[in-house]
Amino acid sequence: MSAIIEVKNLSFGYTPQNTILKDISFEIKAGTFLAIAGPNGAGKSTLLNLLCRALKPKSGTIKIDAIPIESYNWEALAGKVAVVRQEFVPVFGFSVIETVLMARTPYFGTFGFENKTDKQIVNEALEATDTAQFASRPLGSLSGGERQRVFIARALAANSPVLLLDEPTSFLDLKHQVGIYDLLKSTQLEQGKTIVSITHDINLAAQYCDQILLLGADGNYHIGETKDVFSTEQIEKVFGVRTFVGSLGKENFFIPLGKFAKDSGQITDKHI
Amino acid sequence: MKELLTPKKLVIRTVSALTVLAVVMFTCSLIGTESISLKAVFGGADIQESVNPDYEIFVKVRLPRIILACLVGAALACSGVVFQALLRNPLADPYILGISSGAGLGVIIAVISGLDWMLLGRSPIAFFAFAGALGTIWLVWFIGRLTGKFHVTGLLLAGVVVNAFFSAVIMFLTSIAKSQQVYSTIFWLMGNITEEDFLVLWLGAGFVVTGILALFYISPQLNALSFGEEDARSMGVNIARTQLIAFGIAAAITAIAVSLSGLIGFVGLLVPHAVRLIFGPDHRQLLPLSGIFGAIFLVIADTLARVIIAPAQLPVGVVTAILGGPFFLVLLVKYSRKVSWLR
Repeated sequence: MSAIIEVKNLSFGYTPQNTILKDISFEIKAGTFLAIAGPNGAGKSTLLNLLCRALKPKSGTIKIDAIPIESYNWEALAGKVAVVRQEFVPVFGFSVIETVLMARTPYFGTFGFENKTDKQIVNEALEATDTAQFASRPLGSLSGGERQRVFIARALAANSPVLLLDEPTSFLDLKHQVGIYDLLKSTQLEQGKTIVSITHDINLAAQYCDQILLLGADGNYHIGETKDVFSTEQIEKVFGVRTFVGSLGKENFFIPLGKFAKDSGQITDKHI
Repeated sequence: MKELLTPKKLVIRTVSALTVLAVVMFTCSLIGTESISLKAVFGGADIQESVNPDYEIFVKVRLPRIILACLVGAALACSGVVFQALLRNPLADPYILGISSGAGLGVIIAVISGLDWMLLGRSPIAFFAFAGALGTIWLVWFIGRLTGKFHVTGLLLAGVVVNAFFSAVIMFLTSIAKSQQVYSTIFWLMGNITEEDFLVLWLGAGFVVTGILALFYISPQLNALSFGEEDARSMGVNIARTQLIAFGIAAAITAIAVSLSGLIGFVGLLVPHAVRLIFGPDHRQLLPLSGIFGAIFLVIADTLARVIIAPAQLPVGVVTAILGGPFFLVLLVKYSRKVSWLR
């Protein structure tokens, strides 16, 4: 499969003196589920913002579907890349269905209304995310997990091949974290979408993602298959935290060991 | 998908609201200290070689006043909708970014300078108010942009500071002005609907209606902007263009309203909220309906201002505040469950 996102020699800093991302190059093939992980301040959200053109690079290029990102107009770019940001509830009480329908804004007719195709796409997005049941409820009345599913539904309704997510599971309990990742994985597998998601949960990333981009605070980065990038050594180097590594089938999992961590001995599949 | 706004629903609601507006305009045109007969009005300007008083009152006094109330009410309400959307702030109104103090400053400068030239048969007060309003909003926009591209907090703070500074200048100028000049300024600041020149009315109406139609055209983008700039951008909205158009038009129609009628408060805050509470936050509907209900509200308020202490008249701004406050509170309690910002 060809690369849908190509990043070449990308550098960025919020001030001329400061450089948060240095000379980063990578490619993401269409249909891949990639997690961006790394410590706070490493530039994960900055990279995501560069990938959707919310920020302009200091140097380097980003291509989406082989076309430089700056060549797209905003409507065309929305047709290629949909973004789910960290939870934001608008001041005024839009309903769930109104929120999801907004993803179709670039396709509205002259008088600003949706057509049958738009409605069908919105319905499919609501069904896929299991949010059709509360379509008419105000967004503010939903729980955090439900709201996050609505924002994913809105991103799906954009019908774009690439989905960028900024910590989609922050503030969610375990059940909802797993629920969101199940939803993203099925979206990847069933609709062939390319998913790029920032996460702080390396175990969820290890379990669900095909590739990991590990950004270090020192500007170093590693990209590759999950098993090649996540190791106790690498994690300790990037996060400065020792971890215990166990295995669950083919996947490894990591338990961070703090100063007061209890010696839990050997963990095996049997214990889990 | 029953809950979604459809073109049919929008047309039905807009036409119904326009019908209510027509009924209100007609009824209010018959109310006043002098009772007039419609039959006599249709008799024409002259009867038996003398002036027809009913026609004179209807056409030269009440009709222009009602038309002016309509256009000022519609302009302020639509401008309120836009500022609330752009600033994502339920407390925003057309005056939040300093238009009121800018216009007030223009007025007191015109009054104190004692300028006596006329343009289009008008004193310079209206022109100074218009220039003061637009100049101030440009200044706030300029300062706001220094804090970042359309940085909402920066813009709001710039508005607050400019407002406070100009208010202080107004107080200073008022304290050194003559008592007659102070009276003229305060009378203007309280807001009054008086206009006799149909050319000015049609020009004003033309600009306001064109502005509202242009705002309606970008209403889907205003919906997306309610979720913040970054979200709206990722939904394909050209943020810079939408903000510039919305901000420019809202500022221009507010400046027109302010220069024609002085400072009339509450309309731009209450009407958008009332319409939002009843019909929902979708700007495709909120804009036209707020415009029409703003017109209805101000026509009624101005009629009350004409008759409550007749033969004297109240400033309409007093009536909008007294009438609007309790009316809004009733709506707020009744529909509060429908809006998220109250949770």
